[in-house]
Amino acid sequence: MQYALEGSQALARTVALCRPQVIAAYPITPQTHIVENLSKLVADGVLDCELVSVESEFSAASVVLGAVAAGARAYTASSSQGILLMCEVLFNIAGLRLPMVMTCANRAVSGPLSIWNDQQDSMAVRDAGWIQLYCTSNQDAVDTTIQAYHISEQTELPVMVCVDGFTLTHTLEVLDIPDQQQVDRYLPPFNFERRLDPASPISIGTLVAPDYFTEARGDHHRAMNNAQQAIVAAAAGWEDVCGRRQNPLICIHDMTDARIGILTLGSIAGTLADARDRYQNVPATRLMALRTFRPFPAEAIRQACAGLTDLVVLERALSPGSGGIVGTEIRAALSEMQNAPRVHNFSVGLGGRDVPLDIYPRIHEAVRAGSGIPFDIIDLEPDKLPAAV
Amino acid sequence: MGDSPDQMNYRHLRHAQPRFSGLESGHRACQGCGEALGARLVTEAAGPDVVYANATGCLEVFTTAWPDSSWRVPWIHSLFENAPAVAAGMEAALKARGKATRVISMGGDGSTFDIGFQALSGMLERGHNVLHVCFDNEAYMNTGVQRSSSTPHAAATTTSPSGKERMGKRHLKKDIVSIVAAHHIPYAATSSVAYPSDIRKKVRRALAIDGPTFLHIHTPCPLGWGHDGALSIEVARLAVQTGLFPIIELERGRLAGSMPIRTVRPVTDYLQLQTRFRHLFADDDRAREELEHLQALADHNIEIYNLRGTQADSRDSEGADTVRRGGMRWA
Amino acid sequence: MGLKLTRGAFAHPGTSLRYHTGSWRMERPVHVHRPAPCHSVCPAGEDAQAWLGLVAEERYREAWETIVAANPLPAVTGRVCHHPCEQACNRGHYDEPIAIHHVERWLGDQAIASGWDYPAAAVAHDAPAVAVIGGGPAGCSAAWQLTCLGYRVDLFEALPVAGGLLRSALPPYRLPRDILDAELERLLASGIAFRPAQRLGRDFSLDELKTEYAAVFMAPGTQRSRDWDVDGATPHDLHIGLDLLKRWVDIGSIPSWSSAAIIGGGNTAIDLARVLRHCGVETVHVVTHQSLPHAGVEQPDTMPAIAREIEQAMEEGVIFHEHRGVQRLVLRGEQVTGLELVHRKQLRETDNTLRHVSFEGTESLLHVDQVIPAIGQTVDPAGLASLLDQRDYLLASEHGRISGHPGLYAGGDACGRHGSVSAAIGDGRRAALAIARDLQRQADPDSRPADPVTPAQLNMNYFEPRPRQHAPVLPVAERSGEAEVIGGLTPQQAAQESQRCLSCGNCLACDNCWTLCPDVAVLKTRRPAEDGSHYVFDYDFCKGCGLCARECPTAYIMMEAEP
Repeated sequence: MQYALEGSQALARTVALCRPQVIAAYPITPQTHIVENLSKLVADGVLDCELVSVESEFSAASVVLGAVAAGARAYTASSSQGILLMCEVLFNIAGLRLPMVMTCANRAVSGPLSIWNDQQDSMAVRDAGWIQLYCTSNQDAVDTTIQAYHISEQTELPVMVCVDGFTLTHTLEVLDIPDQQQVDRYLPPFNFERRLDPASPISIGTLVAPDYFTEARGDHHRAMNNAQQAIVAAAAGWEDVCGRRQNPLICIHDMTDARIGILTLGSIAGTLADARDRYQNVPATRLMALRTFRPFPAEAIRQACAGLTDLVVLERALSPGSGGIVGTEIRAALSEMQNAPRVHNFSVGLGGRDVPLDIYPRIHEAVRAGSGIPFDIIDLEPDKLPAAV
Repeated sequence: MGDSPDQMNYRHLRHAQPRFSGLESGHRACQGCGEALGARLVTEAAGPDVVYANATGCLEVFTTAWPDSSWRVPWIHSLFENAPAVAAGMEAALKARGKATRVISMGGDGSTFDIGFQALSGMLERGHNVLHVCFDNEAYMNTGVQRSSSTPHAAATTTSPSGKERMGKRHLKKDIVSIVAAHHIPYAATSSVAYPSDIRKKVRRALAIDGPTFLHIHTPCPLGWGHDGALSIEVARLAVQTGLFPIIELERGRLAGSMPIRTVRPVTDYLQLQTRFRHLFADDDRAREELEHLQALADHNIEIYNLRGTQADSRDSEGADTVRRGGMRWA
Repeated sequence: MGLKLTRGAFAHPGTSLRYHTGSWRMERPVHVHRPAPCHSVCPAGEDAQAWLGLVAEERYREAWETIVAANPLPAVTGRVCHHPCEQACNRGHYDEPIAIHHVERWLGDQAIASGWDYPAAAVAHDAPAVAVIGGGPAGCSAAWQLTCLGYRVDLFEALPVAGGLLRSALPPYRLPRDILDAELERLLASGIAFRPAQRLGRDFSLDELKTEYAAVFMAPGTQRSRDWDVDGATPHDLHIGLDLLKRWVDIGSIPSWSSAAIIGGGNTAIDLARVLRHCGVETVHVVTHQSLPHAGVEQPDTMPAIAREIEQAMEEGVIFHEHRGVQRLVLRGEQVTGLELVHRKQLRETDNTLRHVSFEGTESLLHVDQVIPAIGQTVDPAGLASLLDQRDYLLASEHGRISGHPGLYAGGDACGRHGSVSAAIGDGRRAALAIARDLQRQADPDSRPADPVTPAQLNMNYFEPRPRQHAPVLPVAERSGEAEVIGGLTPQQAAQESQRCLSCGNCLACDNCWTLCPDVAVLKTRRPAEDGSHYVFDYDFCKGCGLCARECPTAYIMMEAEP
């Protein structure tokens, strides 16, 4: 059913459709509207679940951890500082193989303080062992959130659904919200085999010595790798239910014989698509949006880059002293290709800086210049820099 | 080694004991560990229909070295600072699933008083139906006896050692039960492993209450406190009988009960058994002053909680652990 | 190794049982039953702790059977024993000692009232036969033990009835006749062949017994009074204390003196003094060179009489003169009119002998109508002359054997070691056991008796003070006739006293060890184990921390080095 909704509102309704039994809520800009909307749904009796208004994100993640361990489907959302505060718990949840879904409303990370959108927060926890899916639009966020529960409960891996803060969360648009029967058909009730139950007690969270720790990590790694199949299958299954085509691992705008590709994550994929329509006199460009960042779909990326001479990786975070995060991983994946494209890695739009349409020709300019710099912050304004030390 | 052929195999007997077994043998606690005893008593009293969240610390380490677990109850260890939050999540889940299973959160003084303080406060404030049990051995024992805010004044730890400039921990022991009680929860109490029947009574009392409850149990650590494992109960008992560890109950923030001390013992009786207080017995003015200070703190506790017993009472510090002949009684 | 990791590394419950922490031990707890002090000091060898425990569990008949296994006359000893058990009772260091004596009396009286049979299996008609000479406490005890051991016993007694001094010399206000009769009658009915009016020397000889019986136990008592005079002088109507007492017990009359002095510090002296007072003698003195007992003070020369009796005698107006001797009799013709007393003490010499010393310059006069010596008895040599060989007493070992005379055993007052009923009972038992061992050619047990449990070894934290129960005592004004001065406990009182017992050295089944083991290594058993405890140590897991031993209230658990 179609509704004109703010992104946060749509997410709240979508989460409610997934029938969570426990929600932990701690507010942080720009996630606040999600938890506020959920609170209203609970208050109005639309959503019947235990809403726990915790006292910090650390506890929010801990509450959902406990809830899942006790056999309940759970949800929480956070951003930025909150994601980092709960970082320890995220590692714990994943390592203990507890299925759950969390929305990360991507926002820059302090210091300095910023409330605006970039993807440093989710990138900072990329090694926590969660599945990370990046949404390019609010519709994508709705569909991905539902699929996330399916994926998570099947693989017993937690899923972080990344949604650009403000850009998506605070944008009003017309969206199709599925109905309850559709979601119920797709998502069976949560039946967690390893739940804590006095009838068959187990001990979760043991101390593992060196003789088995490697295997614990190895099992997790293997599960993450294998999750790609579940991600693909979940998208196909949801397409059957709602009719919308999903691009589970990587969305390729068109597989033309373009020689230049631009790969990005999140909502700026839309900006690039609009820009391509506007700027006709640049070389043909293959636009790609990486949806699944973890597990890292190296093979799918290589296939998506087949035939390219240049690949621009345009990302919304950076690793100070190193460069791009996504770009570095892409480069490594492509290095195994025959005739691998040259990778041009840029960070853009850090701390919520607007990414205008003319980023598109500027990117092409940079490619043409063919600099030997592996990484650059493409929208940096050098005049504003303080003296270097 | 225990593998001799004439060694009785007590497996059958063990499984037929007339009490609920929550914590099993084979755990790796030190000899005479007060916390192991406390955890055993709490899980026994709480019974089988409980799920547990356990903070990082000695207890979870010595009970769950994979693949072994000493727990016979459903149990989860997450992190150091979040046991009450994990417990809150479990409580919410069980409520949502319509289950009557109770939730107990367990942690040491490190997690309860310090790093997990916030999570505890949040859980209490939100009114979750969770009992938090703090096993207080008065330092970060698992990591090697470093001071916590629960470490008593003048006690020596590795991060508050005594020396030329210092007489052990400078700061006072945090009054956790008052802080917890200030959340106006229905029930907060202290107890000690020297009085197992008191622990049992208080666990059951707490679990019979709807809402957040808190139990602060004094559990000696032979290694960290510097005494023989065989003395753990004696040391715990003296802590109570000197007034240094008052046994009290608070309901909605107000004193509702206490264990009177029949014969108050001087603090030196307690302190001299532990090497963590050894420096206080040196021929040193500062040491003498600290002994007086500790005595004053004990006297203060006795005063504010009105602990001096007026007459012999079966529930006072000498009556509460009275034994009775069991005869042929099995259970 | 083949063990596969679980998802998220969860563990299954109770799997730590694979890890035997018992390997950590340096020492291990063991159950050690050491005797309670009441057991160690009992002259009869009773284990009071054991039977008090049974009373506490309301197993009264079993409690009585436990007593009679060592002492077949509890209704008697529960009245007349000097109860060293109570002096030794560890509870005396906590609040007040258990009234063991009174509870024993209560059990003895219960047995009589309920008609509980003495628990001895029937003796085979062809079992070896043992002769016992003397139907007093030592002889009755030996006869009983021998019957329990399966021997046929012929008990020879010179008088028409059994009892010895119990009957002839103990006043009824201490030991009522009906109680004595009831207990003896029931005891003799257990299978002992009683041969009354058979006097050694007159009716049978020792040699005859030696040929007819496998062994002979002699407990003839001390029937002969010591000669007594003061510098050669005696009253013309000299009454020996014991004879006087016996006559009063028998026919109830005493010559009517207005004042009398009894010389001696033993039970006979005190009994007689009280009898004289009860009979109306206005002034009664007891003169002894020994000292009066002082509670809690160890003295080398305390009077052997029971402190309680001395106390009651004082209540009744008997006047005591300690550390005094009689220097001279004051006679008017042959009539005694007084005694010259002098301060006298027994001093110990460097060669460890004792020497009476009178202190010149301390003389005083005591005016009395009569002086009665109660200074002790010796064995009547009739029928025993060669065995006695001029000595006052029979020489026997602690097991009752007489050196150089295999097959002959002796015990009781006749051996001159002690002078109490309970010691006599103990002698009889020990001799019976020796007889049995000798007849079966078994060696004496090697064991030295274990040290009793001390108060420091108990954990008093687990007990609560509770006042001792008191038996009713007849007010002084009413003490004149045969009525018992000290009454009995009520059943409730006996139960209360038994619950005060600290169970030294024996498991109380209090659950302390079971409750306090951090390692769940103490397991409770449904039935008591052979050692009497209700718990076992699971050494697979016991780390040897010692908490159980430390917190065992009864000192029943000891830590010993790991083998």
